[in-house]
Amino acid sequence: MAQDADNWQLLQELFHLAEATPAADRERVLAERCADAELCRRALGILKASSREDAEHAATQVPALTGKIGPYTLIRLLGTGGIGAVYLVERMVGGALQRSALKVLAPHSAGSSFIERFHREEHILASLDHPNITRMLDAGLSDRGQPYLVMEYVDGVHLDAYCDAHKLGIAERLQLFLRVCEAVGYAHRNLVVHLDLKPSNILVTGDGTVKLLDFGTSKLIQPDSLLTTTVMATPAYASPEQLRNEPVTTSCDIYALGAVLFELLAGSRPGQSASVAAMIERAIREQEPERLPDAVTRTAAEQRGLAENRLRQLLTGDLATIAQKCLNPRPRDRYPAIELLTGDIKRYLSGRPVLARPQTTFYRLGKYVRRHRGAMAVTLLVALALLASAAYAGWRQEQAVLEGRRALRMQTFMYRLFKLANSNYTGKPAATVPEFLKLGVKVLPEYIKDPADLREAQLGLAESMYENGDLDDAQAVLIQTIASAKAAKDIPKEAESEAFSGNIAYLQGQMDLGEKLTSHALELSRKPGVPPAVRVWSAIFYAWNRDNNGYHSDENLRLLQFAVKECQSNDLPSRECADAFYMLGQDLELRGQLDEAERAFKEALQVYGQDPLALCDQSEVYGDLAYMTEMRGNVPASLPIYQRAYDGYAKCSGADSSGALTEREYMAGALMKLGRAKEALPMIEASMPTWRKLRGSSPDLAEPLYFLCKAYIETGHFQDGEKVAAELVAVQTGRVAPTDRRFGASHLLWARALVGLHRDQEALSHAEIADRLLVNGFSPGAKLMNAEAHQLLVDIHARLAAK
Amino acid sequence: MTQPGQITLLLRDWSAGDPSATEHLFELVYPHLKQIAGSLFRGERPENLLQPTSVVNELFLKLIRQRSLRFEDREHFYSLSARLMRRVLIDQARSEGRQKRDGGTPVLLHPDLAWIDARPVELMDLDRVLEELEQLDPRKCRMVELRFFLGFSAEETAELLNTSKATVDRDLRFVRGWLYDRLHSA
Repeated sequence: MAQDADNWQLLQELFHLAEATPAADRERVLAERCADAELCRRALGILKASSREDAEHAATQVPALTGKIGPYTLIRLLGTGGIGAVYLVERMVGGALQRSALKVLAPHSAGSSFIERFHREEHILASLDHPNITRMLDAGLSDRGQPYLVMEYVDGVHLDAYCDAHKLGIAERLQLFLRVCEAVGYAHRNLVVHLDLKPSNILVTGDGTVKLLDFGTSKLIQPDSLLTTTVMATPAYASPEQLRNEPVTTSCDIYALGAVLFELLAGSRPGQSASVAAMIERAIREQEPERLPDAVTRTAAEQRGLAENRLRQLLTGDLATIAQKCLNPRPRDRYPAIELLTGDIKRYLSGRPVLARPQTTFYRLGKYVRRHRGAMAVTLLVALALLASAAYAGWRQEQAVLEGRRALRMQTFMYRLFKLANSNYTGKPAATVPEFLKLGVKVLPEYIKDPADLREAQLGLAESMYENGDLDDAQAVLIQTIASAKAAKDIPKEAESEAFSGNIAYLQGQMDLGEKLTSHALELSRKPGVPPAVRVWSAIFYAWNRDNNGYHSDENLRLLQFAVKECQSNDLPSRECADAFYMLGQDLELRGQLDEAERAFKEALQVYGQDPLALCDQSEVYGDLAYMTEMRGNVPASLPIYQRAYDGYAKCSGADSSGALTEREYMAGALMKLGRAKEALPMIEASMPTWRKLRGSSPDLAEPLYFLCKAYIETGHFQDGEKVAAELVAVQTGRVAPTDRRFGASHLLWARALVGLHRDQEALSHAEIADRLLVNGFSPGAKLMNAEAHQLLVDIHARLAAK
Repeated sequence: MTQPGQITLLLRDWSAGDPSATEHLFELVYPHLKQIAGSLFRGERPENLLQPTSVVNELFLKLIRQRSLRFEDREHFYSLSARLMRRVLIDQARSEGRQKRDGGTPVLLHPDLAWIDARPVELMDLDRVLEELEQLDPRKCRMVELRFFLGFSAEETAELLNTSKATVDRDLRFVRGWLYDRLHSA
């Protein structure tokens, strides 16, 4: 070893030299190169070791069990798969021996609730009554606690082996494949997906009957098992979304069918030579699979009774297009339903043109450029949105479980929606969450006839749109639900729709409408029968918007305190409570009750802190805590807290996000207080282009403009300051209540800029507005500003009088 | 238990080019993966029909899924994954390998090493000589890990290490002989 370290390079050189030399000459050649006989011997020893046979080790050994499992006597091992081994078993049933196949599952894949799940799914599994699908017969736990499944036993061979053994041609293979598709299509119509389709799960019996194994197994695997669907599936046949462990749909089976078709036709799997790691990476990068004709080998051609060139030729046109369409990395570009796939195969077999279109170079280029993140986010978010609206519907009804009838309708709707989203129902596939939600709203009435259920589902979708920032669409749906709830005298729904609709109106700058809707919702929410969550929202939306628009009142505070209490005593989801705490904190902050505000913020922080996905929310609270520290006069101490808020935002939503920019802006504000305006100005100037892009000329641009204006003034750039002050007031006019303190703050800056430019006469009117609007501030910051405005006004008067 | 969010953030730092995140990440991800491995291996042999395939696949997925943000420094990423994989397998072997050494043949290097059912003692021996190799030639050690612990093909390994397949084949022939030799002389 020590010797190797000294001669590492030489040792390798000798090894490769020996490799390249006929055995008889090796010792001589090595001795000529190197005088160290010991080292030469070592090189030869390594060469000898390197040529050891190691193929025999590859086989995985599966211990064969003997004896009985449950009431079943084991006969022999039939095979092994990703999640267990399959045995041929028999048992006495009514005096006769009955043979079946028993699959032993790894304990962790099933978990203790396995039997329970089997019984829950039993009716679905039993409803899979199809001549080409093997039946699931029983499930249980062995004496040693191993879960097992019992299936109908099929004496057959794997699909690919059958085809090759019989040297089936392309048309015959396609006929068999059609049988497989029909069985899968049948299962899909019964809302069962397979998720592990592959040739070894498809048997062909002696008389040529196709039998699909393992349908329903996916439903029995523990949902929170560490073994995800990914591991269950065989990587070579698994769709990219399965490899990425994203929500699975019927489209996964279509992908797997494409892989099976590919192998049946070309003789190898798509991407056969790639390692599993490379396959997964390809899935994540959404790379195109190889083309069907490129995978043809001579052996495969012989097994199909064709010359290699002829097979390649046969697989070049429509068949390649069909396989490509199934194997598309993005689900929405695959066949939206099995029936369309079988349709194309039948068209091919009868010599008609298929409907799938080959991908053009342009199309593929476009796909290459497009980032995969969008697609990933879409499937995930949509599933979450639907889950949320379904779960939320249940919660709103204050019932633990939806009734079966209702659940089934929801399930059918979701299933159809996924299908439609993949199709061209509205002219183009729903590629984004907003599109998907809009599609949902559009097709909802076709599936849900009961008006109350319809309102509920519409509300769920509208709230998802709102959460997603899609305000215009959410508002359009809410207007419908308000009208429908009003007509049906459905007070809880009317209150809920109005609360959300009112909040959106405020966000869109329609203050009067917002005020009208939120106060009506608040009034309705006090009536009996309104669920606690709606009471909470109505209170929060009302108080929060009034606070934000210059109408502070004790009622706002009471409402927010009520919301917090209501949240806690009804055990509402913690995020809702955190939001309520946060808004309460802001109200208290505005009142100058800083200790109480800090307590509320810390409560909110505690809830957000437990949720890793709430980093942005946490950062927002840190921002407020920093602001309060600043307001209490401890400006230097506020800087690191702002920094923390900024860092959090930069991580959760990017350094260019409005959250991150806001914290930076406030930090700049704090720096100005410390007399460091020179440092603050470039910080603000740098973020202005992004602000303008993010906010256009909306009233939200006012805040960054305010800080920019202040920084100009404090660094003596009065000309620039005056220009920005004018823009600031223009942005606020008509969108902020004329009595709002924020107007006062803007006019104060305007006056200061004009004073700096020695235009006292013009400054006077602005200083007067500022003094008037800023007069009733509660918080220390507001009081400070009030004092500043008053002093400025007094000084201007004095100077003008002196003239 | 580490927060998954924390790992994601570190991965983001790392992909943004902060090399110090790597070590930290390793320490952070490792216990998490070990726990997964533990739960996958749980259950007594020989009834445990689960193959190491599942373990490695799952571990790998955990990593790569997090890493789906960017793929610029693939070599870095896969080297880390392979190292993690090696450590998880060896630790698993260590905890299971209390049975007495029976003087059998050492484990054979195979591209499916991680995917086949090597006996714990064999893996531990292999780990020991890999430590020696790490000291002598870290790059070759990376090569072994990529090829044999992550199951990359020679072409893929070459691409990752920015070299030719011929070089990888050549180096691995030597390394394999060297490792076997070390295993035997131990």
